[in-house]
Amino acid sequence: MDFLKSMAIAASGLRAQAGRMRVISENIANSDSVASTPGGDPYRRRIPTFHSELDRSLNAQVVALGAVRNDTTDFRTKYEPGNPAADAAGNVKYPNVNSLIEMTDMRDAQRSYEANVNVIGSTRAMIQRTLDILRG
Amino acid sequence: MAISDIPILSMLRTRLQWHQQRQQLLAQNVANADTPNYRPLDLVEPKFGPGAPALAPLQLARSDPAHLVGFGGGGDPASTHNQFQVRPAGNAVSLEDEMIKVASNQMDYQAATQLYTRSLGLLKMAVGK
Repeated sequence: MDFLKSMAIAASGLRAQAGRMRVISENIANSDSVASTPGGDPYRRRIPTFHSELDRSLNAQVVALGAVRNDTTDFRTKYEPGNPAADAAGNVKYPNVNSLIEMTDMRDAQRSYEANVNVIGSTRAMIQRTLDILRG
Repeated sequence: MAISDIPILSMLRTRLQWHQQRQQLLAQNVANADTPNYRPLDLVEPKFGPGAPALAPLQLARSDPAHLVGFGGGGDPASTHNQFQVRPAGNAVSLEDEMIKVASNQMDYQAATQLYTRSLGLLKMAVGK
């Protein structure tokens, strides 16, 4: 039945957005994780990627979370000589996580998630209408 | 005679199948709203009858050519609302447009199922139940 396929496609969207949410929360949680060794690299921001793939059983392009890549921008540095992670010059590298960007991404993920939930709700209403034919 | 041989019921069945297919495409568009280089898809409106011509939109009669034309009344908002913008990642899905399409698809489906129910009601009336 095609309606169940629609629901499966929307569910793939939900899954992908939830995975994106997981990566975003990982970034936010680690926004202050510095290295454990002096002068080492701190946490590097991770970026989720999406790609659409053909699901043969559904015969439709479902979305899937691709490889989670690293953000290659430079780390923030702060001068904190007392910090155990400071290098010889007293600078500490902080993760390249910008909380503003993460917040925006989070809202975007939330919006897309809601859109997929809407599609499922609408599809369910249509199935209900079909069953209503039986009642006459 | 099978119940699906009745013209109106078979027409409505075609219509319902069309809405099912469209719902699937719309779900695909929404699911891929963040996929790079994805372009949204939609179904072509079904035409009834061979080469059915588009109905001329209703117009107000004008007694003088200087009169204002007024609203044409015709024109499908979905077809005029065809412009889409492509985001830098190459994705052209507008979630708002897709939501409107999903809602209208749902309403049209409901209309078709209700027509189906009414037609069945007519049959019931004919057999005296």
